[in-house]
Amino acid sequence: MTTLGEQVLARGRTDAEGRLVEADGVLARLHFSCGGEIGSTIAAPELLALVDKALTFGLKLARPFTAVDGQSRITAWVELSPERDADNAIIGCAIAVASWQEEELAAERDAESLRRHHAIHRQLAEATLRLDHRQAILSIATEAADLAEFRARSELAVGTPWTDLVTMEGASHRLPLHWRLLDGSVCTIEGSTRRWTAHLDALGQPEPGSAGFVLTLSADTPLALSNPGAAERDAEGPSFGRDLTPVLRQPVNRIIANAETIRTRLAGPLSEEYSAYAADIATAGQHLLELIDDLTDLEVVESDDFTTAPDRIELADVARRACGILGVRAREKRIVLVPPPEGESQLAIAEFRRVLQILLNLVGNAIRYSPEDSQIWLRLDRIGSRALVTVADQGHGLDAAQQERVFVKFERLGRSGDGGSGLGLYI
Amino acid sequence: MTMTTPTASPQREREGAESLRDALAAADRALARIGPILGHLLSAPDQSLFSEEILARVRGMFRDLAWQMLLAQAEAAGQTGRGGFAERHGQALAEHFQASPGLLAHVHALALEWQLASRLEAEIGLDPVLSPLVQELIAHDDPQLASTAMASLAAQARFAQTQRRMELPLAELPADLFHVALTAWRGWNGPGGSDALLRAEAKLRERHDESAGRLALLARLAAGLAADDLRPLAIDEAGTALFLTVLAARSGQARERAVMATNARQMPRLSLALRAAGCSQEIIDGAILRLHPDLAPPASAAQISPAQARGLLAQLPGGENS
Repeated sequence: MTTLGEQVLARGRTDAEGRLVEADGVLARLHFSCGGEIGSTIAAPELLALVDKALTFGLKLARPFTAVDGQSRITAWVELSPERDADNAIIGCAIAVASWQEEELAAERDAESLRRHHAIHRQLAEATLRLDHRQAILSIATEAADLAEFRARSELAVGTPWTDLVTMEGASHRLPLHWRLLDGSVCTIEGSTRRWTAHLDALGQPEPGSAGFVLTLSADTPLALSNPGAAERDAEGPSFGRDLTPVLRQPVNRIIANAETIRTRLAGPLSEEYSAYAADIATAGQHLLELIDDLTDLEVVESDDFTTAPDRIELADVARRACGILGVRAREKRIVLVPPPEGESQLAIAEFRRVLQILLNLVGNAIRYSPEDSQIWLRLDRIGSRALVTVADQGHGLDAAQQERVFVKFERLGRSGDGGSGLGLYI
Repeated sequence: MTMTTPTASPQREREGAESLRDALAAADRALARIGPILGHLLSAPDQSLFSEEILARVRGMFRDLAWQMLLAQAEAAGQTGRGGFAERHGQALAEHFQASPGLLAHVHALALEWQLASRLEAEIGLDPVLSPLVQELIAHDDPQLASTAMASLAAQARFAQTQRRMELPLAELPADLFHVALTAWRGWNGPGGSDALLRAEAKLRERHDESAGRLALLARLAAGLAADDLRPLAIDEAGTALFLTVLAARSGQARERAVMATNARQMPRLSLALRAAGCSQEIIDGAILRLHPDLAPPASAAQISPAQARGLLAQLPGGENS
């Protein structure tokens, strides 16, 4: 504030989030008339943008700005100076205002303001009805929960004047009146506790209304967010599995498919290196897909309403299936998977799908971290009333500390760079 | 040392020929570009947007910006021989700055503004620093207006001085562009900047005061003038600097755009901008005649309303980017 000196007309201060914590004179007046209060975010939009800029850049600003306070257009000069604490972190912004000029807002031209009003009403309307030239209902569209009843009645009452279905405030005349008298009238609607303002757009030329009307109903207050369905959905929040997985799968699948096309040279001859690159792309894509699956599984397991659907299952069968699914991968590393021998059987109570998933994760790990030319065994056991499946491999064993950590989410035991997510055992 | 001829294996030879062919192709492409560029430069009149004078000024200002930052960096790092440090890296950092469109447009506009001011001084004897209107404002009854006018006069004198030296003090950059320059500087230094660098940047940020810059002072002076006063829109009254600021403010354009509008090829923009600022056709014609005495004025802009003119200017890409 080196240059303003005595010219300052008003001063203020914001906190680091752009909330006005102190203000006097014209600045306070503008803030209040724009609907702000002390402690709330700066209400004049152009000024707020400047304050945001000063706070983000940590730079002093000196700019003209304009604002509208309802009656007049204001042009003023503002100088902003970010304030810092001892650690040089920005804690707020000092505002100094000078050369304040007010200019009466030019009366808007009628046609223009009318058009704008109609646009606003249409935008805010919670119910839109199409009427014929006698103001009789032709159709209704509404999403408002408290107007469901009204919609049902209106649909039954097609062909009758809309005024029959609402209660006009202070109406003593015989209805329907001329549309101009009804435009902007306030009414109540059975089933809704809110007050509604009706706006009629006359259609047709040269006589407005000759082609009917569009009736929009806008409420004085927005419907409270008590809608149970909506609240529940909000509380749940965005979900990776529900929202993202389908979206991610599609492009990743396409990447893999195209990479495979290139790799196999379906579209024509290609040099060896490029084919190899494409193979890399395809592998990486496959991997990405597996990570997505892992994360989706994780979310399912972690959600509060996760339950299993227990069933009588044959563990030997599950183990054999797991070996079958992963057999190809094992053979690539020349690892022999040894499923439980034929005839061995162990019944258990569990959900088939989940047990298979667990075994796939375990055996998959075993394959990944076992040396080549080794064996992996799956054994069935029983201790008391509990059924057991054991997966044993010839890889590095884990020490006690590692065993403790191994089931922790994202635990990789110091491995990195091989593309695992560290989620398998946790799940 | 004796020269040894590398053993010429067929493989080597082939590779050598490849790389030579590539280099030759690149050189050919460069040659192909000579025609259009040279043609443009030759056909453009003196006050062109790309005259040698303009290019030299733009380069000079970028180099000056880079030097100031490098000196601050060397100082923060406690280096001895600061000039040497700036000398070694100045060119590279300046080129880094040039890659920012916002900075480039700003610096280019400053060069054009100064060129215009110098031309008007030569042609109609308009002082590039002290104009009749500014002189009057300094003696104004309103002490605030008078002191702002005084401050802007001092700033304009500084501007003239630095332009003659082809310099641009960091303090004169508007805050947004100052931020852009600091960000570019940080980017040029690479990730994980040293403490010294962070200290230097924090210091520069804290020291920067937009309100003391010439453009801010001119804008404040313009804001203090009555909105229906058309005198600031007469360039021979207001002087180049104030004229450009007022034209930009009242036509809702960035000042850089207003500067561009004074170019001979941009007359439609100028007449639209003047119309948007509320000028009558007579004043518009007068202004164009002052700027381009040898050119025919464009079609009348007075047939559309100032609000329409404003809308037209705002619709153009980059119209409102201040």
